[in-house]
Amino acid sequence: MLDAFNRALDDVTGWIFEAAVQPAMYALGLMDWADDALQWIEFGLFGLFTILVVYAVCRPLEAWRPVEPVTDRGAIRTDIVYTLLTRLGLLPMVAFVLLASLQAWWAGLVADSGFVPPTLETLIPGLREMPLLAFLLYVVILDFGEYWRHRFQHMFGWWWALHSIHHAQRQMTFWTDDRNHILDEIIAALWFGTLALLIGVPPGQFPLLVLIMRLAESLSHANVRLSFGRLGERLLVSPRFHRVHHGVMSAAEHGRNYAVLFPVWDWIFGTADFRRDHYPRTGDPEAPEALATGGWLRQQVVGLRRMAGAIFRRGAA
Amino acid sequence: MRRLAALLMLCLLAAARPAAADLVYVLNSTDATISILDAFTRQEVRRIPALREVHHLVLSPDGRDLLIADSGGNEIFFVDPATGDVRRRERISNPYHLDFSPDGRHLVIASLRRNQVDIYDANGPTLLARLRMPEKPSHMAFSPDARVVYVTLQGSGTVAAISLETRQPLWEAPVGREPAGIIWHRGRLIVGIMGSENFVVLNPQTQQIERTIPVGRGAHTIFPAPDGRALWATSRVQSRLAEIDPDTLEVRRLIELPGGPDCIAFDPDGRIWATLRWAGRIARVDPRSGEFETIRVGRSPHGIFVHPRRAERN
Repeated sequence: MLDAFNRALDDVTGWIFEAAVQPAMYALGLMDWADDALQWIEFGLFGLFTILVVYAVCRPLEAWRPVEPVTDRGAIRTDIVYTLLTRLGLLPMVAFVLLASLQAWWAGLVADSGFVPPTLETLIPGLREMPLLAFLLYVVILDFGEYWRHRFQHMFGWWWALHSIHHAQRQMTFWTDDRNHILDEIIAALWFGTLALLIGVPPGQFPLLVLIMRLAESLSHANVRLSFGRLGERLLVSPRFHRVHHGVMSAAEHGRNYAVLFPVWDWIFGTADFRRDHYPRTGDPEAPEALATGGWLRQQVVGLRRMAGAIFRRGAA
Repeated sequence: MRRLAALLMLCLLAAARPAAADLVYVLNSTDATISILDAFTRQEVRRIPALREVHHLVLSPDGRDLLIADSGGNEIFFVDPATGDVRRRERISNPYHLDFSPDGRHLVIASLRRNQVDIYDANGPTLLARLRMPEKPSHMAFSPDARVVYVTLQGSGTVAAISLETRQPLWEAPVGREPAGIIWHRGRLIVGIMGSENFVVLNPQTQQIERTIPVGRGAHTIFPAPDGRALWATSRVQSRLAEIDPDTLEVRRLIELPGGPDCIAFDPDGRIWATLRWAGRIARVDPRSGEFETIRVGRSPHGIFVHPRRAERN
């Protein structure tokens, strides 16, 4: 199954690249980026497929047992813009092109220091013959990292100013997952890069599993009255579990249920709320209206302005 | 009767099959695996998991080890080419392209993603020097006296010469947009210019381009046939193999080969094995007829190597 998925993805990627993208890159004098372009096509195709799968799974669920009626379709449309920009690779690709030289410089600096970043397989040699297990271990460790990044997003005022864009949505649906400020995404990439220095980046040969994880993340934002049961709620973040995190009383520093995939982190660190019948209203009452109902660009500008305000207020205090 | 005929046919086939067929190593860069194929049956006999991103490989001067570079995994695998067994691994920072100097003393590693060229003592490998280069050091070639290594700089559009004696850069010459593959050929360097349809012939003495060899859009890598009768070049955009006369440097023949031909290896019969980067396949090409078949491997196959084993059964 994994192989079949990979081959299908590879065949379509190769065909698009060879038939359309590579000739265009050649004409534009961009052959230097050919290998990277191939990866970005795969990223975009994978993203498109992910959106379709997420839609096919989540939309019927939202129609089946919605937590609340849809009253603001405009706000959902903004979330769709976020999703398309992120999942189809447009924003990540721009960041990659802009930061490629910086990344090469940084990699050179790390190499000059004599440090060779490890991978989990070099730290635990038994994993070499079990790439699937290695991948799953990466998922657990990175999810732990995401739990703490998420807590810091709520802990520091300047960071919350950015992250509150994600929480301002009062009409939460499965599209809300990618509703993040660009700067917040860049910080997330740096966070990931720092972890990668310690444990390396996960193997890239399991896109199907990544798809399942993305589906779980999107589903956790869905407008659906769905709990995974007494045991399931403790194993995987459910729409119920994550809605509590988005509840109006949960905004800023009073947060609960920070986990992205595995609730065990909230359990361990005392931030879990496992009440199974609790589906609060979502949104951040203290956020400016633009963050709830403004368009993508407006939210980006307001987010930046709020972050600057948070930093300078702190500096002046 | 029909059963008997089938049995006889099987026996004939078994007799025709070499006792030990050549092994073909293919580096599946996106899958992070190494496919080992039986060259006779064209079936994959083994797949070795790598760590992240395997691109290029080279045989050690004594023929004992096949060095496989995993750039994303920061590691080089030392593999027994006769069996595919991994003998050892070395932690090496981002090894992309690698080759031994002709005297076997140095192992040079180009790191495309960190703009550096590393010179190692081949016996360790122990790092002797690390040179920060302009953008994207890609492929390399050596002068036959092993004094100089020439590296294409994909992002800069140049070839850089580095002294292996002083371990310092000697010069850098512009050659065209996105240079990739490079070989030493009779006192000259032949360089694939990916952003054009040409290979260029660079005189390392004058650092001047003396001529161009048109092969097709996206000129990429070039390899001399083991019998010395031809040079074989690839173009990745126009998807071609080009046979070049080693004396006149004229193109003798073009073979259309869809899928983005990249690296090439030769088997003892002179057949060409080429990775098709965009197709997840390799091609086995008969250079006499130009006919080819393709074989499914992993994703984005890049480096390729044929280990001849037929002689080993005698």
